[in-house]
Amino acid sequence: MNKKLWIASAGLFILLGLVLLAGCSKKQASNEQEEGAATPKATATIDPSTVGSVQGTIKFEGTAPKPVKIDMSQDPACKGTNTSEDMVVDNGNLANVFVYVKDGLDNYSFEPPKDPVKIDQDGCRYHPHVLGVMAGQTVEVVNSDPTTHNIHPTPKDNREWNESQPPKAAPIDKSFARQEIMLPVKCNQHPWMKMYISVVKTPFFAVTDKDGKFEIKGLPPGTYTVAAVQEKLGEQDQKITIAPKGSQTVDFTFKPGGASAAAMGD
Amino acid sequence: MPELPTPDDDPITSKSYALYYALATAVLTASLFWALWDEAYGQRPWKEYQEVFQQRYSAFLKTARSKSTQSQKEVESSPDYQKMEQQYKQASDQATPQINKLHDSITDLSAQILAVQNVFTDKRAYVSAVTYEIETDTDPSSKRNRQRDLAKWKQQLFTVAFPDGSRKKYNYEQLEAEYNALKDQRTAANSQLGDVLKPITAIKTQMDQYVSDHMATLTPLQVTGLENKVEDISPAIHQIVIPDPRNSGNPIMVDRCESCHLGIREPLKLTAADMAARGQKPDKYARAFVSHPDTELLDIHDPEKFGCTTCHQGNGRATTSMVKAHGTYEHWLWPLFPKENVEAGCQNCHSRDMVLISGNAGQVISEGKFLFEQRGCMGCHKYQGYNSEPEELRGTDQQIKQLEQQKIDNLKMAAEYTHEGDQAPDNTSANLLYTKAETLKVDNSKIDGQIHQLDLETRDLMRDTKKVGPNLKEIRAKLNRNWVPVWLHKPTDFRRTTKMPNFRLNDEQIRSIAAYLWQTALKDPIPHAAPGDAAHGKELFETRGCLACHSIGEGDQRQGGDFAANLTRVGEKANYDYLVRWVHNPRQRIRPYCPYEKKDIGPEDYAKHGLTYAFDLDHTTCPNDGHELQVENMTVMPSLRLSQQDAQDVASYLITLKEKDPSSYPDASYMDDPKLKAEGEKWIRQFGCAGCHEISGFEDDRGIGTELTQEGSKPIERLDFALFTDMAQRGEGEPITDPVDRARLPEGPAKAPWYSLKGFFEHKLAEPNIFDKGMIKSDTDKLRMPNPHLTPEQIRAITTFLMGSEDTSAIPAAFQYAPEDARRDIQEGWWIVRKYNCVGCHQFYPGQQTVLMGMKRYQDPDWKEQLPPKLLTEGARVSPQWLTKFLANPALSTTDTNRNGVRPYLKVHMPTFFFSDHEIRVLVRFFQALSKQPMPYLPEQVPVLTAKETDMARSLFTSQAAPCLKCHATGDPQHDKFATAPNFLLAKDRLKPNWVARWLIDPQAISPGTSMPSGLFRQQSGHWVFAGPTPPSFQGYEQDQNALLMRYIFQLTPEEQHRLSGMMPRNAAPAKKASNSVPAKGKRASGTLRRSPADQAAALGSGSR
Repeated sequence: MNKKLWIASAGLFILLGLVLLAGCSKKQASNEQEEGAATPKATATIDPSTVGSVQGTIKFEGTAPKPVKIDMSQDPACKGTNTSEDMVVDNGNLANVFVYVKDGLDNYSFEPPKDPVKIDQDGCRYHPHVLGVMAGQTVEVVNSDPTTHNIHPTPKDNREWNESQPPKAAPIDKSFARQEIMLPVKCNQHPWMKMYISVVKTPFFAVTDKDGKFEIKGLPPGTYTVAAVQEKLGEQDQKITIAPKGSQTVDFTFKPGGASAAAMGD
Repeated sequence: MPELPTPDDDPITSKSYALYYALATAVLTASLFWALWDEAYGQRPWKEYQEVFQQRYSAFLKTARSKSTQSQKEVESSPDYQKMEQQYKQASDQATPQINKLHDSITDLSAQILAVQNVFTDKRAYVSAVTYEIETDTDPSSKRNRQRDLAKWKQQLFTVAFPDGSRKKYNYEQLEAEYNALKDQRTAANSQLGDVLKPITAIKTQMDQYVSDHMATLTPLQVTGLENKVEDISPAIHQIVIPDPRNSGNPIMVDRCESCHLGIREPLKLTAADMAARGQKPDKYARAFVSHPDTELLDIHDPEKFGCTTCHQGNGRATTSMVKAHGTYEHWLWPLFPKENVEAGCQNCHSRDMVLISGNAGQVISEGKFLFEQRGCMGCHKYQGYNSEPEELRGTDQQIKQLEQQKIDNLKMAAEYTHEGDQAPDNTSANLLYTKAETLKVDNSKIDGQIHQLDLETRDLMRDTKKVGPNLKEIRAKLNRNWVPVWLHKPTDFRRTTKMPNFRLNDEQIRSIAAYLWQTALKDPIPHAAPGDAAHGKELFETRGCLACHSIGEGDQRQGGDFAANLTRVGEKANYDYLVRWVHNPRQRIRPYCPYEKKDIGPEDYAKHGLTYAFDLDHTTCPNDGHELQVENMTVMPSLRLSQQDAQDVASYLITLKEKDPSSYPDASYMDDPKLKAEGEKWIRQFGCAGCHEISGFEDDRGIGTELTQEGSKPIERLDFALFTDMAQRGEGEPITDPVDRARLPEGPAKAPWYSLKGFFEHKLAEPNIFDKGMIKSDTDKLRMPNPHLTPEQIRAITTFLMGSEDTSAIPAAFQYAPEDARRDIQEGWWIVRKYNCVGCHQFYPGQQTVLMGMKRYQDPDWKEQLPPKLLTEGARVSPQWLTKFLANPALSTTDTNRNGVRPYLKVHMPTFFFSDHEIRVLVRFFQALSKQPMPYLPEQVPVLTAKETDMARSLFTSQAAPCLKCHATGDPQHDKFATAPNFLLAKDRLKPNWVARWLIDPQAISPGTSMPSGLFRQQSGHWVFAGPTPPSFQGYEQDQNALLMRYIFQLTPEEQHRLSGMMPRNAAPAKKASNSVPAKGKRASGTLRRSPADQAAALGSGSR
């Protein structure tokens, strides 16, 4: 046998063994130095001296449906006259449209105001018909009628409840935790009674008055999407930019059955 | 001796082996070290896991503790807690002087007792000893003497030195009295102390409870406990041993999984991110250390009892490497289930469950089990528990035959005994034989009873037997002939979501199969139906509840459920007359079938025996031989109890649903060619069409597929990967090339080796003939399984189900979930609930979405009110006796059937399912068991109201603050126009009193979203009182007022209800003429609800048309 070959192969074998040994015992010290945990989102603050506002008018184009009178004879305790409120148009101006800043405020977080907003049931009808409220803000429901109502919100994303409120009963205080636009509220005993609560994460929302006008104040400068939502006609969005201390006008026009009503599900 | 010359090349002197020795030594030493290292670490990779776990977990606990302390502080700063703390402080401050006093007196008393005791115990011992001696003394005089001495001794005075220094003298009896008196005093003081402390400790307990109730995480104390535990970790195998009850030396299961998965049962939620090294992404350790993702599941399945591998599989004993432990190597037959199929493990023990939902878990396996039935897999593949009726029918048949034979034998024997008795030598033995004969006769009467029960069972089984596909004996009446071949070519071309799979038939096969079906179909004419009002039919179709099973529209426009056919193009295939008949009652057959004679029975058979041709569920016996007939179409579709007119309206609407004209289909008159029939029969047999369809001549055919009950245990070698074996083993590419089928693969085209059961099932389900690819086969040798055109999710679900379908003999029988109590009723009930798609309309557990709930229409709050009732607590709500009646006849009437028995105001109607007695029994028990109600139910007695109570209750019932009759129906059509709730007169028979009392308090807690509001009653000083104003008569009434109202409702008479409803102001002022009033919401006529009296009138009228 070739002596050199033998030595060489034995040496190689040992070397292999040692390398193997070293390789096995080596601790896996190679730690992947990759990105760490996500940094929490910084909450921006609003400088009150730079805030601007957005306002506008919401128009309805075309023939407005005539408000129809509601037959309330099933409960004689429902006094007065009542007309349908699903489309309130006066002189081409659309009332009861909910307008809010839909997008562009992700860097801010807002505390709900301490003061409650009120819903009154008077004449077997809700006042207001469309209500904006911040998530977590108290909604106080009052019954001014001489009859019993029940307040029954049917939310998609919030918790559903349904409570009876006899005449002269104490107000019912509730709040909604999650954002939900045009959350329907109804009274099971008076089927015509309907209203919508829009729960928003920010304080930047408004409901158009009978002249179709709205105004949202205190917006920090920036670019936003403003959405106008009508219970029958659906949603329209517009992009706006607010300069420091700027004031921006945004008008919307709804057409009968024009906008997609997908958001309303009807 | 001459000296030998030393050779020059003496190896001893000239050659050194040092190098070799050195090398050998090095090798030996190295291998020694290697062996030592391997022993300590190489074979024990878990050691490293345990070290890393110790570091990571202690780091995690540190942060957890600070969070926990923080959250404890928050809880403690809450007003409730503060109040309790204050109370605690006040109470303890107040009690302190008394406590101190009591403590002092107890200490003092204890010292005194000790002093007396020192003397007394000594003397008592002496008395006992002497008494014993007296007792055992045999000499009477000595006994007397000793007694005298003892009495004298007892009069002696003993001195007790009290701790306060005083000394007192007592004789023995005084001493004993003093001792007992002192002890009594101390006991009294102690109990007094307890009384004083009780309120204080109660507050303290309350405070602790409050903290643990309001803390989302563990308390700091608990975290510290965990920290100490982690510090103490020393390398060790953590194992769960499941002993074999019969053989303690050889455990059934040894699971060492927790040697690496150390966090799995930690009480804190550990995610991979939590357990990652600081600031780094989760590595293999972090992923191994997570806590079990579903602690609820773990609570039900205690690992100490079930181990880990029972559910997850893998090689529980292996500890040398991850691959070994997970069992993902070729020599282990039970590899760990992959994450996406992890629910396969449920099937091992839960094969008897159709629905397996626990929190978020169980959706996949439940879907798989359901699809196996619903998509008709069970038509070809036998699977224990599925489609068991035909087999059970054969069983009862067999049993009846045996019993009948037994009866004959008994009679023979009885005659023999009687005969023997007549000949008997004496009366005793004669009587004995007569008794024997009598016994046999009585036995026969018992057998008669048994046979009757089996007959009933047979009838039930006939009724319960369903087919996935329609009855093809009726196609001549039902179908557009020319449509049949088009359909057979590729069903999905006509109806994308059909249950019928694609069979890859060639033209020859299509022609002959169509011809056979057409020629063997029944030729009886069916009644001609008058045309109906399609617009009204559309409204009915969309609101009656058809869409809970059927769908309409394609793509985004699709509405409804996928339990039954999509009817978008039904007008192209169906005949109007047949549709009317089907919509009216889908179970109505053209001819009954006699399984005994194996033929369809016609009027001629009835005429032969002078009988009228009438067969239905009440007339089920064969005129020829009295055997049970199949009198129904074997469909699960119920009757919606539509009037003939309504059925015509719905059919008229359905017939308009088409994309092209039925007459545009190419002529297929060859279907009448008798020459094609024999060929057709061959192909029908080849493809097993009768697995899903009733076909003339194939009634007794059984499934042609492999049995799949234990498919998951098949060794991989027994699955034929054909030409793709190598490809699957090496993971080289994806054999499925068809883009549509490729997209069905749940894990996408293969990237890694897929030579596994999972890989096989997924490929087979995505493209069933994939393993024919490249093979040269004749038409009859080709793989027969049709393409069921499933989605990736569906394939994943069925694959999971099949992977879990294993031979369970290795698992202890006790692990099988086969309860014998009420839980079995739940198991059995779910099969029926899924069979008839009750879940399409009803919610059985919170979070379960019904088909209707998801539909666009029911998003509107007014329509939401129209959803079928939720059945969350149905068993606690209704009496089982009533439910039995209701399930058999949901109209609760035999004459007025086109309505809902309980909720006439709903547009959706509860259909009539023609359940068999067996199914009704199972369903009733199911609901009772689901609500944990005992069976049989003995109706709870409702105490009769006194006259005063009646007046009080009536004032609640009609109160302005709870106007019950405003929403609840009374049966008066004028009043019920506005009804949205059931009639109170049903309550007595239907409801359970206790449930009603609870419902009145908080209906939202029982059926979330119900129209009935909560808040009618509130709690006041331990009682439920009415929330609105009450008349003075309620003064001093101490009982629950909700119960008062409930009792009133249970005693309400129709007369009283009528009177009260007449007094309601609404009815006093008659509603305005319908044409003047307008709906509050402008809706299309078809979607109008009760809001409009005009529509309401129309809806009411529709019932009587």
